[in-house]
Amino acid sequence: MRESLQREIESVKTLSIVGMCKNAGKTTVLNRLLELAPKGRVLGLTSIGRDGESVDAVTGTEKPGIFVREGTLIATAKDMLARSDVTQEILMNTGIPTPLGEVIVARARSAGNVQLAGPSITTQLKTVTDAFFALGADQAIIDGALGRKSLGARTVAEGVILCTGASYHASMEKTVRDTVNAFRILNLKKAETLPEASDAPLGDILKQHGEARVSGALTDSLVLPLLRSGALKNARLIVKDPSKVLLSAETLDKLDARGVSLETEEAAKPLCVTVNPVSAYGWKYDKDAFMRALTEALDVPVIDVKEEGYDQRQL
Amino acid sequence: MISVSFDDRVQIGLQYILDSLHGCSPFGQERIRKLRFFAPSEREALETELGNTERAAAAADALKDVYDAIMLELCQIKDVRGSLSRCRAGETLDHVELFEIKGYLLRIEALLPLLTRMQETVHADGIALHDPASALSVLDPEQTRSRGFYLPDSLSPRLQTIRSAKRKIEERLYAAKTDAEKNAIRIERTRICADEEDEERRVRADLCAALNPYVDELLLDADTLGRLDFLIQKALFAVKYGGVRPAITETELVLEEMRNPELCDVLKEKGRAFVPVSIALDRGATVITGANMGGKSVAMKTVALNVLLFHAGFLVCAKRASMPLFCSVLMLFDEAQSMRSGLSGFGSEIVAFEKALATVEQGYALFLLDEFARGTNPDEGAAIVTAVTQYLNGVNAVSVLSTHYDQVASAANAHYQIIGLRDVDPDAIRAAVSPDADGIAVIARHMNYGLYRVEGKSDCPKDALNICRMLSLKPEILDLIEQNYV
Repeated sequence: MRESLQREIESVKTLSIVGMCKNAGKTTVLNRLLELAPKGRVLGLTSIGRDGESVDAVTGTEKPGIFVREGTLIATAKDMLARSDVTQEILMNTGIPTPLGEVIVARARSAGNVQLAGPSITTQLKTVTDAFFALGADQAIIDGALGRKSLGARTVAEGVILCTGASYHASMEKTVRDTVNAFRILNLKKAETLPEASDAPLGDILKQHGEARVSGALTDSLVLPLLRSGALKNARLIVKDPSKVLLSAETLDKLDARGVSLETEEAAKPLCVTVNPVSAYGWKYDKDAFMRALTEALDVPVIDVKEEGYDQRQL
Repeated sequence: MISVSFDDRVQIGLQYILDSLHGCSPFGQERIRKLRFFAPSEREALETELGNTERAAAAADALKDVYDAIMLELCQIKDVRGSLSRCRAGETLDHVELFEIKGYLLRIEALLPLLTRMQETVHADGIALHDPASALSVLDPEQTRSRGFYLPDSLSPRLQTIRSAKRKIEERLYAAKTDAEKNAIRIERTRICADEEDEERRVRADLCAALNPYVDELLLDADTLGRLDFLIQKALFAVKYGGVRPAITETELVLEEMRNPELCDVLKEKGRAFVPVSIALDRGATVITGANMGGKSVAMKTVALNVLLFHAGFLVCAKRASMPLFCSVLMLFDEAQSMRSGLSGFGSEIVAFEKALATVEQGYALFLLDEFARGTNPDEGAAIVTAVTQYLNGVNAVSVLSTHYDQVASAANAHYQIIGLRDVDPDAIRAAVSPDADGIAVIARHMNYGLYRVEGKSDCPKDALNICRMLSLKPEILDLIEQNYV
């Protein structure tokens, strides 16, 4: 990993790792970060929902465990804590319930493998990251969920690492296209000013003010008629967070072409995209072509974590 | 045993009071949620509780900081009774459970000096916590008093050996170069982790055994914390709404200037004030009569509310009060009951009455009937209510009936009348009611909701006629009404 990128990742207070699909290499990325963190730096680690099983529950593929250093704070469900092999110091009850028991905050008093099952609601995620900082963490890392749900993590995190890979789809072109689209949505501009919320029809508000706040989801069927009516020309549209944007790549292109500025109330910065060219389902992409296609389409570093990982510092 | 349905609690304003209390600990919240009423056989315990509440309320001002600090600690207490019971049963608790018990002990330790300060003034009977120091020394052997829970190496030489091996192998793992090398180390490490887990379980079992002798004390403390929590809430309630400790009588129930907090708050919001009501009741039937809008129901509900508050160990909302201990409190309010049973309003009233009467006749009871038999025709209704009143005179209960039927009063042991518009000059009001003013509101403002005791035979108060007059009903009709009264 380039040093400038590593510095940037370290400077983010709360970091979220999100995957386009299972087996995109999220855990590998997480382990890399845990490994690269300078000694003495305290990390707080949690996940959105359940993750970190040693065997993938869906594909049966062997998954890397999450291996933390001594001193790391973890927030995970009680049942998962019992399945971690670090020596534990229990620090806090969060009062957050999960199907696997209450989320507990503990400190690893030895290095070891942990199983993560954190809160599934973003407000609860905030409770956990606040607890990390109160307990002395330098950085909080959220092992994000998959797909749409993970986009919501942006309301808590400041920085995001997007993981993609061949497991997403057999067609590399489709994987690249959808990854670029997800990145685009993650990378929406943060709104500097917020228009008043209003119950009036969106078209009317746009005609009157040239900008509008959309309270729910932004869908093609909502946006396309507005585009046709001309109400959107050079307008500003603001959504709560990227998870509310359910637009196809084509519609996003059209918005760009009409000079529409799509913005979000909460914004985290995508820091890099990582790739895993090997699929858990048996197929493989041409690694160089995959990297090249993504690098051309994106303005952040694209990294093959597996490859970069094989240096002497990797476990 | 007194039991009150949720609907009745809402009706009389008891639920409003319970909802306004802020139980801090799970134990206090449970006491409020599962409100318990003292039975006549528990008179001594009730007197203790009332004494505690009275002294805690009197000290509330001076001890405000202490109460706040106690509440803050109580808010952070977790319910560990389940874990404690498992410990008593000889089970081995897990890390998190031991952490939670340690947290519980630390809270008790923090509460002890606060409770001592409170008790210097309040002297609350039966509120004492055990010193958690010995139990804490089990879970915090190194006396760090940190909030976290960790099994220190010092608990077992074997644990120390295993952990130092674990540390060494982790260093080797970090230093390993090849995958094969790492895999071999990982397998070795897995075995050490398993050893650690086994030894930790053994150490935890030892801790639980060492904790066992204290479990009963700690469970008692949970109960005490609930009572302390509730006591402070009762004291704060009394401070907010003014409370008095009733004298306990054999049969007589007297409430001077009683108030209903829910109505006080509702009226206050509308810029009006609740008019305190006084009433003296005894064994037998008492009838309350009066015009519509006059507050007969309010008076009855406020009696029920204050009697129940007393039975739950609260100070009551009145200037002075004396009460007996009741075996049961039964209420028949007219609203909504018929809809649910599918019977006619009148039919379901009779069914409910029969059912209530069976309980009332089992021991000294408070029995409240609001507008009984209002749904049937006035002549029959009056006959029925008169008969019920006559019967209740002979029942071992304080029975109160509110009714429209003035003639019922002569059958009762005692008769109260709503003061209503007795002391108001109708002509003056009529003048005040301009054609476009809200006449009803003007009348409500002049209505006196107080009660007076009618001795001997009462005159018909003619409030209905007065209301007609104030609202400027046609003079011809008014004349006809007057003729009909005679």
